[in-house]
Amino acid sequence: MKKRSITLYINGEEYTITVQAHHTLVHVLRNQLNMTDVKHCCGRGECGACTVLVDDADAPGGRKPIDACMVLAAMMDGKKITTVAGLEEDGKLHPVQQAFIDEGAVQCGFCTGGMIMKSISILEKNPKAKEDEIRSELEGNICRCTGYVKIVDAVKKAGSWSTKR
Amino acid sequence: MAEYSVVGHRIPKLDAREKVTGRGMYTGDLRMEGLLYGKIVRCWEYAHAKVKKIDFSEARKVPGVVKCLGPKDVTQRSYNTTIMKLLVPEAFSDVFGEIADLYVFNGHVKHQGDAVCGIIAKSEEAAERAAEKVKITYEPLPVVMTAAESKRKDAPQFTALKPGNLAANFPEAFFPGGAYGHNAPDGKTAAQHMKEADLVIEETFYCPRQKQVQMENHTYIARYDDRGRLTCWTSTQMPKPVQNLIAELFELPLTRVRVVQAPVGGAFGCRLGMIGEPHACALAMAVPGRPVKVEFLREEDWVASESRASGHLKVKAGFKKDGTPVAIDAHYEVLKGGYYTHGSGPPFCTAAFMYGMYKWQAMAMRADIWFNNMVPYGAYQGYGNPENTFAVEQIVDRACNELGLDPVEWRRKWHKGIGDDTWLMGVKYASCGLDDCIDKATRAIQWNKKKKEYAKMKGRKRRGLGIGVMQHTSGAWPMLLEYTNLVMRLNEDCTVEMMVSVSDLGTGGHTAVCQMAAETLGWPMDDVHLKCCDSDCNGFDIGAHASRTIYCVGRTVTQGAEKLKQELIARAARNLQVKPGDLAWGEDKEIYCTWDPVKRINARQIAKESIYSFDDPATGKTIGIPGQIVVTSDDFVKHCSPPFSASCAEVEVDIETGDVKVLSFYNAHDIGKAIHPPSVEGQLEGGSQKGFGYVLTEDIYYDKNGLCLNNDFTDYKMLGASDMPQEMGAILVESAPDPVGPFGAKSCGESALMGPIGSVANAIYDAIGVQITEAPITPERVLAAIKQNGGVKK
Repeated sequence: MKKRSITLYINGEEYTITVQAHHTLVHVLRNQLNMTDVKHCCGRGECGACTVLVDDADAPGGRKPIDACMVLAAMMDGKKITTVAGLEEDGKLHPVQQAFIDEGAVQCGFCTGGMIMKSISILEKNPKAKEDEIRSELEGNICRCTGYVKIVDAVKKAGSWSTKR
Repeated sequence: MAEYSVVGHRIPKLDAREKVTGRGMYTGDLRMEGLLYGKIVRCWEYAHAKVKKIDFSEARKVPGVVKCLGPKDVTQRSYNTTIMKLLVPEAFSDVFGEIADLYVFNGHVKHQGDAVCGIIAKSEEAAERAAEKVKITYEPLPVVMTAAESKRKDAPQFTALKPGNLAANFPEAFFPGGAYGHNAPDGKTAAQHMKEADLVIEETFYCPRQKQVQMENHTYIARYDDRGRLTCWTSTQMPKPVQNLIAELFELPLTRVRVVQAPVGGAFGCRLGMIGEPHACALAMAVPGRPVKVEFLREEDWVASESRASGHLKVKAGFKKDGTPVAIDAHYEVLKGGYYTHGSGPPFCTAAFMYGMYKWQAMAMRADIWFNNMVPYGAYQGYGNPENTFAVEQIVDRACNELGLDPVEWRRKWHKGIGDDTWLMGVKYASCGLDDCIDKATRAIQWNKKKKEYAKMKGRKRRGLGIGVMQHTSGAWPMLLEYTNLVMRLNEDCTVEMMVSVSDLGTGGHTAVCQMAAETLGWPMDDVHLKCCDSDCNGFDIGAHASRTIYCVGRTVTQGAEKLKQELIARAARNLQVKPGDLAWGEDKEIYCTWDPVKRINARQIAKESIYSFDDPATGKTIGIPGQIVVTSDDFVKHCSPPFSASCAEVEVDIETGDVKVLSFYNAHDIGKAIHPPSVEGQLEGGSQKGFGYVLTEDIYYDKNGLCLNNDFTDYKMLGASDMPQEMGAILVESAPDPVGPFGAKSCGESALMGPIGSVANAIYDAIGVQITEAPITPERVLAAIKQNGGVKK
């Protein structure tokens, strides 16, 4: 098995690690770096549970959402990645996290991390995103508990949040 | 209505913060020293086969492999995944014919995905690579998919314990004529009494094999430690009964079995009992001292964990010209799948909930349940009620249409209510808020206005409105045991440790029981700590099923809190030298004498003195009353307070593509009292997504060889964020509080699934004038039905 030495910048910290070339980002995050805030569900890009944000100069808001199961860790060498654990600042939750709590959008919580990351990207792209756009963008994140009702409410509530980071 | 300080309030759930930060640890997130990885090797190639030979020689060569285990290397006991036999008297199990036909590793593969052998390795990847290299020689057996194939005299036999492949039906010992129901007042059977009807509708409904699809993959860790104790970390819904099943399977006393219930990433009935616990434990027993983790892949979920029951429900219903429901006579031919598991449980409930809804003069439902080579069915929210709702709600609308009656008014007139039998004969309704639900739901959707508007539509898109009502249950008494044991311990600082095994599946149960305890005590939420999820410190509790958590566990919690208060009053009375009846609670844990308020003591002092007990050096007398206050509370609830609901749906049918879109939906639920309103709404909203899925998009599809065609998120189509209607309302109806439920509460955990099924099916009927009796009502079925009826009829 081929190995690669890579550097990942995750939630503002630098990690230089050796990875198997065929390992996905979600596998490396969860099993090599013990970042279990990123969940593993379908492993094939259908459900969005492993959504993380990757800095990308071309993306609106400067970062784009990806399914961590759909990229090889080795391909992410040098990239800046934000996971759910990186949202909190000094104990203060990100507005989207707080909105999920306030609106009762959390039930079993398994989809919640990925759902929050995707929701952040929706609002960074368009802080004034309306319901149609929110729902369409959330198609790649599956939830079986909530029927999406309070999730959409939470995203709308957080929509007034500033794009300043 | 009473004003409560914490019950009924929209407080954040106790576990919400750790879930939004990602710090909530599901079983798969737990890290342990020396963790090994187990892989269950399944038969993917065949739905029916005998295992002739298992060759581990190549698998053993894979680097990192620790052990390869075949059927003879693990417990030889057979088992049943469910906890049902624990919840009925032994005699019942015998009469119902429950069997234990499953082994940890099976030599007779009875469905694709059946477990054949296992691998233990140092990494997940090594375990998977080794699993791929196991050479299994199969002798394929003829595949049995339909009931017709299963009942043939020359059909391959599934188990010697059930010759002829009839897994279950309703035994004559309890069900005269093999039917659940009742005769007409003059003693005629439903079939005979049908003659009194002016209109008879006969229809066969196909009820799909829906899958729960919880988002957390089934994951287990098991460890057999140096003290000979077997611990299993699992997200089962029923930790204490599962502890019993594991103890039985591995022949251990309960003192040597510990079940730790990890946060449950969704369940919906899938985890009502065991799934991978036997395998994880069997592998752990093979490597004593080392924890072994078994994590299912998503594609295993559809083939290796139980589904909803499916089959053909034939219903014949008779009505008088004025709409009087004369008789209903039904037969459900059910596909059991490869193993017995829940037996006749769900079909029995189909019959029972059919009985509990309307005032039929006579009723009979039979069921025949046949083994076949599909994934076995088990429990799924609704537990048989969805099938009943899909069939009967449509039959009612058809009858109303043919008799010129209003479907809303018919339901108002003929639904059962207070004093009538619930789904279980002899147990009477004590509360019923259905009329209020019907009012609120029809008003919310603007029923009259839109019905007029859509009455004469033309063109490609046709809209319609439908109503569906339902009743369900709160807990399973008297069908099954209802028992919860709780211990409440008063800490030195007058806060409370509440030890009760309550299952929260994301449903909010943990938060709600703390609300109920705090409210009963009259103390802040922070003063109550819930210790649950560990069989080492919890007494018996059934677990989360039959929508019992708020109702049954809630009663136990409130009773325990009352007992704790009484003990404090009793000690205060001794302390103040008055009678307990002379005392009342004041602010901030103060207890005072009503006829002499100077005589008072704070509960904090009582708590402190109960533990820090010293003798007065001057008098030699003990200061205060010694002995920590610990109360137990047992509740064997003797009712099931069924909740009702009325749902209204507005759909748009594209008559060229067959596409059905739900435009708006309202579900008015007879909750009695919403302990935690956001959780009740959450259950209703989430249940709606599954109800829509049942009636519009979801079924497990198999090819002719019994191999699953859609065990993934892409092809098992569930409604996504943009499929769900934007206009949707969960209406909490609290006008009919229940006399038995805590704070008047009834359940909601399963109810939300049924309303969408009846209302959407009826809305489609209203839109196109054609009734579709096979679910899911896919575009193909819509177009076929329109074609068969010679066009859209309105």
